[in-house]
Amino acid sequence: MVRLVSFWQQYHLGRWALIIVALALFALPLAQIIVPERKLVTNSLLFSFTQMFMLVTMASNWNLTGGYTGYIDFGHAVFFGLGAYGTGVLMAKAGWIFFPSLIVGAIVALIFALLIGSATLRLKGPYFSIAMLGTFVAMREIVRVIKPLTGGGTGLTLPPYLNRPLFYYVTLIQAVIVVVFVWWLIKHTEFGQSLIAIREDEVGAEMRGINATLHKITIFTIAAFSTGLVGGLWAYQNTFIDPDIVFIESRTLDLVMIVMLGGLGTIAGPVLGAVLLYWMRDIIWANFLQFHLIIQGLVLILIVLFLPEGIVGSISDRSGGTTIGRLWGRYFTAEEDTAPEKAEVGP
Amino acid sequence: MNPASAEPLLAGHNVSKYFGGLAALSSVDFAVYPGEIMGLIGPNGSGKTTLFDCLSRVQKVDKGQITFKGEDITGKKPYQVAHMGLARTFQVVRIYRKLSVLENMLLSRQWGGMGVIHLFRRYPKGIEERARDLIHFLLLDPIIEEQAGNLSGGQQRLLEIGMALMPDPDLILLDEATSGINPTLVETIKDRIVELNKKHSKTFLLIEHNIQFIGDLCSRVFVLNYGEMLAEGTPDEIMNNEDVIEAYFGMDGSDDEFDE
Repeated sequence: MVRLVSFWQQYHLGRWALIIVALALFALPLAQIIVPERKLVTNSLLFSFTQMFMLVTMASNWNLTGGYTGYIDFGHAVFFGLGAYGTGVLMAKAGWIFFPSLIVGAIVALIFALLIGSATLRLKGPYFSIAMLGTFVAMREIVRVIKPLTGGGTGLTLPPYLNRPLFYYVTLIQAVIVVVFVWWLIKHTEFGQSLIAIREDEVGAEMRGINATLHKITIFTIAAFSTGLVGGLWAYQNTFIDPDIVFIESRTLDLVMIVMLGGLGTIAGPVLGAVLLYWMRDIIWANFLQFHLIIQGLVLILIVLFLPEGIVGSISDRSGGTTIGRLWGRYFTAEEDTAPEKAEVGP
Repeated sequence: MNPASAEPLLAGHNVSKYFGGLAALSSVDFAVYPGEIMGLIGPNGSGKTTLFDCLSRVQKVDKGQITFKGEDITGKKPYQVAHMGLARTFQVVRIYRKLSVLENMLLSRQWGGMGVIHLFRRYPKGIEERARDLIHFLLLDPIIEEQAGNLSGGQQRLLEIGMALMPDPDLILLDEATSGINPTLVETIKDRIVELNKKHSKTFLLIEHNIQFIGDLCSRVFVLNYGEMLAEGTPDEIMNNEDVIEAYFGMDGSDDEFDE
C-alpha cells in the first residue's frame, strides 16, 4: 500500500490522470463530428456535460468565499441571475450579439458584488449568510418589478442558437480555467494563503498583517464575475429566462450541497461534488421519480453526518497531500516519513 | 539604557476606552522605549488586555492618542499596525488550529503589502527557512508537522510567540505568555525573551501575573487598576509600593495566587 501511495506521488499520477480526463473531455464532441452516423455522442449527452461543467464552475466559485474565506454564501446565485439577465436584456432588448452581452452581463454581476460585498462582508458568520439570502430573494422581486427592462414575470426570449458543441466547449474551458485559477491562487500566491489564514482566524490574520476586508471583497468579486459568465451562458443556452427559473433557490442550495459533498475548502472537492451530484441526481431521477428528492436529501444527511469534511476533505489534508497516505506512511515505514516533503508545498 | 533621553517606541497619551458606562481605561499615559522589556501588571479586570487591544487596534480607542515609532496610529487598522512592526499574542491563544505548526508559521510571515496589486504575488522564497529556524529556536521541532489544535497549552503559547516573531517585528506585546505553562517551559520562554531582547534588540511589553517572571525580566513596570495607571517604576519599587500592594495583593490575594 505504501509503495502504491509513494509510486502515485513520485510520478505525479494524479496530475497525469487529470490531464487524461481533460483531453478525453475535449475529444468527446469530436466523436460526433467525425462519425455522426454512429450516434456515439448524442446531443443530450453533450447537454448533460454542459450542465455539469457549469456546476463545476459555480461550485468552485462558491468555494472561494465559502470554503477558503469561510463565509457561507446562501445567495451566490444572485450573480448567476444578474449575468443571465444582463446577457438576456442586451440580446433580447438591445439586439446585441452574444459574446459582448455575456461580458457586460458578467460585469454587471461584478459591480453588484463589489457594492453588496462591501456591505455584507463586514458581517460575520450567519449574519452574512442571511444577508446574502435576503439579497437573492430581493433581487428576484426587483427583476420581476422592473418590467420594461426585464420583461417582468413573463420573462425574456433570447434569439435561439442551438449549437451543443459550442456550449460544451465554452463551459468546459471556463470550468478548466476556474479550477486551474483556484489551484494557482491557493498554492502559489500570497493572496490564496491569506484567504486560508482569514478562514482559520480572522482577527488573528488581521493582527498578522492581512487586510481581511480587502481580501474578502476581492475574492467575492472575482467569484461573482465568473458566476455571472455562467449565468449568461445558461441564459443563451436555455433561450428563455424568467425570474422564477433564474433566481431559483435550489441553484444556491445545489452549490452548497456540491461543495459540502466534495469537501469545503479543497480544490478538487467542488469538481468531484459537482460530477457526483449531477449524475447521482440524474440516475435517481430516472429510476425513482417519485422518491428522487427524498433519496437525495437522505444521501446528503448521511454525508453531513458521516463525512462532515466532504469526500476530498476526508481523504486529504488542506495542503493537498493525502492524510491517509501520510498515516499509512508513518505506520508502515517509520524512517521514510513523507511528511517533510509535504511541508514544502506550504499550507 | 536611559529611557528619558530616547524617543519612545510606543506611547499612549490620555488613552480612554468605555464599554457602555464602564471605563475600562481612563486617561492612561505611558511610554515604551526601544530595547526595553516592560511589564504591565494589575488585578483581574483592570484593563490590561483592553489596553493591548487598543494598542494593536483590535479595539477602537474612545479618547486619546497612541503613537508608534513617532506616528499616530490611533485611526489605523490592525494590519497596518502589523506592517509597521508591531506584533502581539492573545490572552486566549489565537492560532490556526486546523493547520500544522509549520503552516501556522508560514501564514504569519511578513506580507508583501496591503494593496490589491500585492495580492497576487507569488509567495517569497526563504520564508520556510525562517519558519524552521524560529521553530527550532522555540524548541518546537519535534511537533513541526502536528496539527496546531492538538498541541498542549504551553506549546500553543510558544507557537503563538513564534508566529508573532515571524514578520520580524520591532515591538512584541505578549499577553500572559506564561499562564498555564509548566515551570520548565516558563524558563525557556524567559531565556528566549532575553535572547531576543539582547541579541536582536526587540522591545517587549508583557502582561503578566507571574511576579517572579516580571521581576527577572523587566526593567520597568506599569500597574493598572480599574482602568487607571496606578504606579510606574522598577520591579523593586513596584513591589514595595503601598498602593500596589493594596490593589494587587491585598484586595483579593487568594484569587491572584490562583492565577499564578
